[in-house]
Amino acid sequence: MRSLRTILLVVLTAALAAGLAACGSSSSSSGGNATTGGAVPAGVQTPLTQSLTGGKRGGVLNEVQAEDFEHLDPGQSYFQIDYQITSATQRSLFSYLPNTFKEATPDLAEGPATISEGNKLITIKIRKGVHFSPPVNREVTAADEVYAIDRVANPNVANPYYLGYLESVEGMKAAKGGPIPGVKATGKYTLQIKLTEPQAPIVVASMVLPYSAPVPEEYAKKFDAKKPSEYGNYMVATGPYMLKANGEGKILGTGYQPGKSATLVRNPNWNASTDHRPAYLTQINISIGGDPNVIGRQVLEGSSMVQSDSPAAPILKLALQQHRSQLVISAGGGAGDRYIAVNNSDGPFKNVNLRKALWAATDREALNKLRGGKTVADLMTHYLWNGISGFEEAGGYPGPQVDYNMHPQGDMAVAEKYMKLAGYPGGKYTGSETIQVVGDSSAPANNVAEAVNQTLRTLGFKTSLNLVEHTVMYSKYCGVVSEKIDVCPNVGWVPDFGDPQAVLDVPFNGNLIVQNGTNSNWGLVNHPKINAAMEAATKVVGAKARGEAWAKIDRELVEEAVVVPYQWAKEPYIESKNVAGVSQYWNSGTWDYSYTSLK
Amino acid sequence: MSAAEPLLRVEDLRVEFATEDGVVHAVDGITYEVARGRTLGIVGESGSGKTVTAMTTLGLTRMQGAQISGRIFFEGKDLVALSDGELRTIRGNEIAMIFQDPLSSLHPLFRVGDQLVEAIRAHRDVSKAAARERAIELLGLVGIPDPARRVREYPHEISGGMRQRAMIGMALANEPKLLIADEPTTALDVTVQAQILELLERLQRELDMAIVIITHDLGVVAEMADDIAVMYAGRIVESASAKVLFGGPEHPYTWGLLRSIPRLTGSREEQLVPIPGTPPSLISRPSGCHFHPRCPYAQPDHSRIDPQLEPVPGEPSHHAACLLDASLRARLWAELHGGATPEEARASVGLPAPETPPAEALR
Amino acid sequence: MSRYVIRRLLWGVVLLIVVVALLFVMFYVLPTADPAKLRAGRLQSPKIIAEIRHTYGLDKSVPEQFWLYLKNLFLHFNLGYSFYSNAPVKELILDRLPATLSLVIGGAIVWVVTGVGVGIISARRAGSRLDRASMGTALVLVSAPEYWLGLLALYLFAADIGVVRIFPGAGSYVPLSSDPVKWFTSLILPWLVVAAGQAAIYARLIRGGLIETMGDDYIRTARAKGLPERTVVLRHGLRSAVNPVVTILGLDIGVLLGSSVLVETVFNIPGIGRLNYTAITHADFPIVQGTVLLAALLIVVANILVDIAYAYLDPRVRYS
Repeated sequence: MRSLRTILLVVLTAALAAGLAACGSSSSSSGGNATTGGAVPAGVQTPLTQSLTGGKRGGVLNEVQAEDFEHLDPGQSYFQIDYQITSATQRSLFSYLPNTFKEATPDLAEGPATISEGNKLITIKIRKGVHFSPPVNREVTAADEVYAIDRVANPNVANPYYLGYLESVEGMKAAKGGPIPGVKATGKYTLQIKLTEPQAPIVVASMVLPYSAPVPEEYAKKFDAKKPSEYGNYMVATGPYMLKANGEGKILGTGYQPGKSATLVRNPNWNASTDHRPAYLTQINISIGGDPNVIGRQVLEGSSMVQSDSPAAPILKLALQQHRSQLVISAGGGAGDRYIAVNNSDGPFKNVNLRKALWAATDREALNKLRGGKTVADLMTHYLWNGISGFEEAGGYPGPQVDYNMHPQGDMAVAEKYMKLAGYPGGKYTGSETIQVVGDSSAPANNVAEAVNQTLRTLGFKTSLNLVEHTVMYSKYCGVVSEKIDVCPNVGWVPDFGDPQAVLDVPFNGNLIVQNGTNSNWGLVNHPKINAAMEAATKVVGAKARGEAWAKIDRELVEEAVVVPYQWAKEPYIESKNVAGVSQYWNSGTWDYSYTSLK
Repeated sequence: MSAAEPLLRVEDLRVEFATEDGVVHAVDGITYEVARGRTLGIVGESGSGKTVTAMTTLGLTRMQGAQISGRIFFEGKDLVALSDGELRTIRGNEIAMIFQDPLSSLHPLFRVGDQLVEAIRAHRDVSKAAARERAIELLGLVGIPDPARRVREYPHEISGGMRQRAMIGMALANEPKLLIADEPTTALDVTVQAQILELLERLQRELDMAIVIITHDLGVVAEMADDIAVMYAGRIVESASAKVLFGGPEHPYTWGLLRSIPRLTGSREEQLVPIPGTPPSLISRPSGCHFHPRCPYAQPDHSRIDPQLEPVPGEPSHHAACLLDASLRARLWAELHGGATPEEARASVGLPAPETPPAEALR
Repeated sequence: MSRYVIRRLLWGVVLLIVVVALLFVMFYVLPTADPAKLRAGRLQSPKIIAEIRHTYGLDKSVPEQFWLYLKNLFLHFNLGYSFYSNAPVKELILDRLPATLSLVIGGAIVWVVTGVGVGIISARRAGSRLDRASMGTALVLVSAPEYWLGLLALYLFAADIGVVRIFPGAGSYVPLSSDPVKWFTSLILPWLVVAAGQAAIYARLIRGGLIETMGDDYIRTARAKGLPERTVVLRHGLRSAVNPVVTILGLDIGVLLGSSVLVETVFNIPGIGRLNYTAITHADFPIVQGTVLLAALLIVVANILVDIAYAYLDPRVRYS
């Protein structure tokens, strides 16, 4: 039997070695000051301190990502790794430099937008000398902007957010893809947008989204006529890079093979003098798919590679231990948040004191630990976050000093106080109804849901916990008003752009609750005073003034304890040693192809 | 090799198998010989060691891990001492064998012709085409009609008798000097049995080969065999020429075998009487005479004394291993031959009954 | 025989229609994500969702969608378009199929050769140390998850992240048509991983079958003919022991072609399994439908091929 034992020994040893290498020991993480929010471990990069200039020109970057893209058509893109492509290939009117989420820089626009007529008229001059990639080749004009905005309302394009930000554009509500009366080219390089409501600040702010990238009507129209539109398979670029295309401009099967690969090459018609992007690399090869544990190691141990999704937990540990300089962690900005949504409109949690009791009782540090701890999460203490105007005014990292917010490990004494105020003198809930809790069934979210469920029971609630697939949780339960779910412990928000309105409006404005569609106000937060304050704040112009206005709303939301916040997410990303990666702070911290270079 | 030397001479052959339950004494010191062109019938119930004897002759028990001692002289060569490779050149060539169940003995997934071709080419360096012609010729020789068509058929496509003919044809492929036929007719219908036996006789005449026919059925060998050896529990208990044996069998076991077969010469009313009990375990055999627990004439000391195969007085070529007195045996046989039951015969010669009734001793 | 095959093929078509119907029922009855809502994004009015439904034909009744799907499938051999990339499903499947075929068929060759080889050696030395060692290893391999084996293989032998850097690692797959040498070397580790568990099963199967067969009467006959032992084992013994293996081989290949997602993911091979898996997570129904249909078709075809092969291998089997 010696041979069998030898074989087993070899197998076990190998497994052990692999296991150790993959998991690492947990003793030596987080070297930074963890009590300060936004801190990252020593030696780890952050998007805010990276250098945007002086990169070496040339070289091919190999990018790996386990997830596939969703939609690359700028009229449809609505996903962070899609934005990675659109930000390198499409020039929207405004864009963020990689290290900011507060201020947009004119991109295709020549300068800031002019807002007049009491926030109802927007005039934008676009740059001269910007050309479309082959096979269109011609110069971009204001008419291409008009068509780009016209087509978002085309059901074949099915832009996922236009009504949220562009509803006030004259004729937009009735539009079906044809010309929209309020959008006009008043000169070859002048775009004019008329609004029916004084919503110009949010319309302009939304122009960092890829829908505002120009689209040549004469080329795109035939593709947009298809159900659904096939423009994404043939689209032309205005940025420094383009998805590789064949002679007819077809990308599908050439520069993009769904689920397999994508290839970005230089756009021969790009003129560096018109653009803020340095565009150091000559080509980016993107490999889609693979196991996170494998591709993560390939990036850390290989060369000229980056990974576009956040690394798997074992890879993150490995990077922290052995490859710190190859790790960037983005705190705040576009990384989003996580909170426990409680039903403000129906059921027991209509009572503000019960919401405060739950907030006070929740061990929010424990929930963060379940999701990866301080390396990837800051304790969330209110609703605006770092990197967004108004964050400091709303309380900064410590947050408002109200008693239910001051005990991140949970405080049953405070919880009891609010239970009594809510009318339960015993300090425990005594109602007979069963609280519906719906959570995400996959780890680690399911553990968070179970912990929250436990807290509810400790407070005396009878609960029924239902764990379902992530997308089902939103589309069948938490996002459906008529389901009247009491508690959704696994929801979170990533703003579309760096404006406080984009952070607070949709999740907490009662006027935006969608009755029969996809609702994103999961707490059914609907407090008339706050709704009115939000309506007023949408009209405020200027980053500072907007920040102050929304910070006030933030404080009111905390007063009402509308949802129980527990995490401001931090996103880690990894690169190979010879990559001088630049991370997009506005896009949760993933890599920016137009600024990244090889060492 | 002198003319007097037999083709096959087996001397004191012992074959044992080590199993988890103990050592199986399958063949326990047997001696016999077969002359050229003659037929030896080895008779016995299943489990008496007769098949193992045959398989050992071909060297087929070796690879099953058997312990073999004694000698098997074939044309003067001791087969027991030959290497595996040397034995293989004899097997299927100079000594061939056919088996009881032709359906399971032919490979179900190969055409009949291909199996013959393989047998030919195992020992002859001939082309496939030549071997095929020879196969057709062989099938014709064993009396298969339309042999050119039959070679292309699979074993399941032809009848049982045809299959056994094909087996015989395959055995004859290399014109063996000795054919061992292990229960060649047992699995066949009565009418087919006779045809196969006739075939064997005809082929023996035509090809001048010796045959060892192994059977539990004395009726089969009655017509065919020149000599007969009766085996019980791994030993030969009686041997003689067929004529002598059928004229005056000496061993109670032989008497039992004779009474347990339909006699072609006997009357229709004659009852078939099987030998009570079953053959003994070859791992722990009965003491003394191995047959004593089943023997109606066993005496107390028969369980202690081991009988030797000895010439019958006055008949030098007739051997028997029985502890009963020769004259007593003659009187018993006379009674049995006259139609008496064993009990009647025992009573008439004045023998006491065995201490335990034979059937119960074997329970 | 040909009538039998035609009848089986017709039944196969019926089966495929049933599979399509089942998928429709599953997709519309079970609580999955609504593709229109997924497509619509997170802030949507009923109007936009309705428009998207219309664009993708999801507003038609389920029976009507079912009928249109069947019509497109059988009349135009059209499997529809992905909800996400808008790429034709047929094109996506044809694009992915070679990778999966390479993986599974190459793996099958490896596992049949090693499984049969080890099985024969084990059977001939049943009870020996070698036999016990190989059967013990087989037991370990059968119970080892493919995913784990895949990671282990990469951590040990991949050229980029391995301890001993020998074979090309994850993501190195290229199509056979573009570079046969690279294709071959990139598939060595995946083949071994796909084959490991299967080879173990086949080895045990062959071993058991051969031990049983070697006790059969016709083996005694073959030996009595004076054939060399090698011929007896490899021709007469194996020929019988191999029949049940052929049966499960066809099915194993058929099933694996539709379910090789783990190995495809670990080694980053863009095959059918991954296409299907990603589509499920995105509720990309046309792709799910297309890939499941392909898997069903492959299993039906594999079954028929197995039957034909069986009739060929065992003359006693006749279909009518």
